[in-house]
Amino acid sequence: MKILHLAWRNVFRHTRRTLITASAISVGLSAMILSNTMMNGADKMASENIIQYETGHMQIFAKGYYREEGIFPLDTIIEEPETIIQHVRTHRNVAGVTERVKFQARVNNGVDELPTLAYGIDIENDSEVFRIAQSVVDGAFLKEREDILIGTDLARDMGFAIGSYLTVITKDRYGTYNANDFFVSGLINTTHPLFDRNAVLMKLEVAQQLLDLDHGVTEICVRVRNSAQLASAQRDITALIGAKYEVYTWRELNAAIFEISGFKRLSQFMIALVVLIIAAVGIVNTMLMAVMERIPEIGTLKAMGFRNNSIVQMFVLEGGIIGAFGSLLGCIFGVLMSLYVAIQGLDFSQFFGDMDVGYPIKMIIKGEIDFLTILLVFLFGVVVTILVSLWPVRMATRLEPVDALRHV
Amino acid sequence: MVEVNELHKDYRVGKVLFPALRGVNTVIQDGEFTAIAGPSGSGKTTLLNIIGCLDSPTSGTVYIDGTDTGTLTTREKANLRKNQIGFVFQTFNLIPVLTAFENVEIPLLLLDTKTDENKDRVVGILEEVGLAEYLHRKPNEMSGGQQQRVAIARALVKRPSLVLADEPTANLDSTTAREILELMQELNRKFHTTFVFSTHDQLVMDYAERIIGLRDGMIVDDKRKETPA
Ligand SMILES: Nc1ncnc2c1ncn2[C@@H]1O[C@H](COP(=O)(O)OP(=O)(O)O)[C@@H](O)[C@H]1O
Ligand SMILES: [Mg+2]
Repeated sequence: MKILHLAWRNVFRHTRRTLITASAISVGLSAMILSNTMMNGADKMASENIIQYETGHMQIFAKGYYREEGIFPLDTIIEEPETIIQHVRTHRNVAGVTERVKFQARVNNGVDELPTLAYGIDIENDSEVFRIAQSVVDGAFLKEREDILIGTDLARDMGFAIGSYLTVITKDRYGTYNANDFFVSGLINTTHPLFDRNAVLMKLEVAQQLLDLDHGVTEICVRVRNSAQLASAQRDITALIGAKYEVYTWRELNAAIFEISGFKRLSQFMIALVVLIIAAVGIVNTMLMAVMERIPEIGTLKAMGFRNNSIVQMFVLEGGIIGAFGSLLGCIFGVLMSLYVAIQGLDFSQFFGDMDVGYPIKMIIKGEIDFLTILLVFLFGVVVTILVSLWPVRMATRLEPVDALRHV
Repeated sequence: MVEVNELHKDYRVGKVLFPALRGVNTVIQDGEFTAIAGPSGSGKTTLLNIIGCLDSPTSGTVYIDGTDTGTLTTREKANLRKNQIGFVFQTFNLIPVLTAFENVEIPLLLLDTKTDENKDRVVGILEEVGLAEYLHRKPNEMSGGQQQRVAIARALVKRPSLVLADEPTANLDSTTAREILELMQELNRKFHTTFVFSTHDQLVMDYAERIIGLRDGMIVDDKRKETPA
């Protein structure tokens, strides 16, 4: 009631001081919000990249195939993919299914050789799950048996263009080396940096022949309609196809990447927290000054019979108002910056070039705003200001009224 | 009624005890208009603070309306101040961010009175002190005399039985001081509120019904005037 009114008036005693303190809080909070937006955006982009180019939502392997990330054995493959694909297609949440052969291969331009990850893709069905066909920026999609698609970055690194010949050197499933010549039919430019630098794609039948797989494939990739029900689809499909096969979600296949992301998130949050601690020091300082300069007033109020409780309330409300104001400003700035980042994207390539940060996204990050986090950040700002203003305010309550009144 | 018995107050300054009050005895009757007069350092503020339960004596007792204030807890003292004692300070001590009206309203916030009733009382007392036109002025928009009038209104708004004013005119010029004293005198007669004020100024003493002379922490003099000015 009136205490709030008094606190409100006191907030405007030193408008400049209030504004500076509130802006300090707002800088801390907006940094927290922006960092959260960026991390959400990076995670979302990484997830989309993985889903759209690498794995789909789920992958089915022969039991024992999947050991750890980065290993692509050919000794445990799905020999008869067709029947499994038929089964999987019957699930109501399945939007698309395709088969792939994934293998390690070295690409040679006659002078240099680079290790790459090669894919044999089913040109009929690949687009049900992946966006390779849509990513062809130059030339054409796979058609002939000697056609190969490569990423624009790989093309640049190796000096390839549409029509260039290249040699793919690989070991077949029995360990025999062979080399085959291909013809660059198209260049792809995806949003997945590793894919553009590291992937070569050929027709499924060609890869099967190269590796001596008959009709076998290394994986069957599944896209679902509703990714919120991925876990139940995974369970259903596992039951459907039997114990000879295993089903992994894209998240399970990329656990390490999202562990990195968790760590980054934490470290970014720590930076923002440090900014907020600086802001908190600002509040303590402001409230300390407020208490110090009002000692005679505190004495006057106490002389009139005010209790310590009311005095504490008055100052805490004052701190809370400044905190709420700063938090509100911080949320507004945070959201504005986040909106910019969400709509425009933030280009980090100026800072880092094409550096590999171990994260499957390109250097332009599009933010993803999470309003629950913003609400939490706001509440956090208010609670922190109230808590830290308690300390200086306690000084006011320790003063005896006579001492407070004599203080000039 | 205020009764003071054998009041001693020692201040500790470093290792030395400094006696500010050295055995003060007096009785102040209801409705009296009493000045405590003495040079600077004679113990006037100390005495008023102890009577007003803002400070405790080293020894001796103070009775206010029959209550031994030495036996009260901090909370009971705050209640006594809240209900029965109004303070006026040399430096006015208004809350600078509040208007005259709001400053005068503060003591009522602690009492369980109704808001509209509060409003009437605040406006009434501000009219009484001659500030009907200044309800919404902030302290820094008023002269010293006007500020002290607000402070007097604030002390009286809750109808206390006792008003303690520590050198209420010391920061005012003599014309304004006279006006303030006349105002206090008038309010004293109108509301039968006991006024005790301290001063070292002859002008102020002219207005008092009774002058208690204080020197070096002891009462040296206690005079009543038959016909105050
Ligand atoms: N808190 C204190 N500590 C030490 N000495 C004090 C304190 N308050 C007052 N005194 C001393 O006590 C004496 C009486 O002070 P005070 O009551 O303020 O006198 P007056 O109001 O008449 O000027 C003075 O000598 C003053 O210096
Ligand atoms: Mg004094």
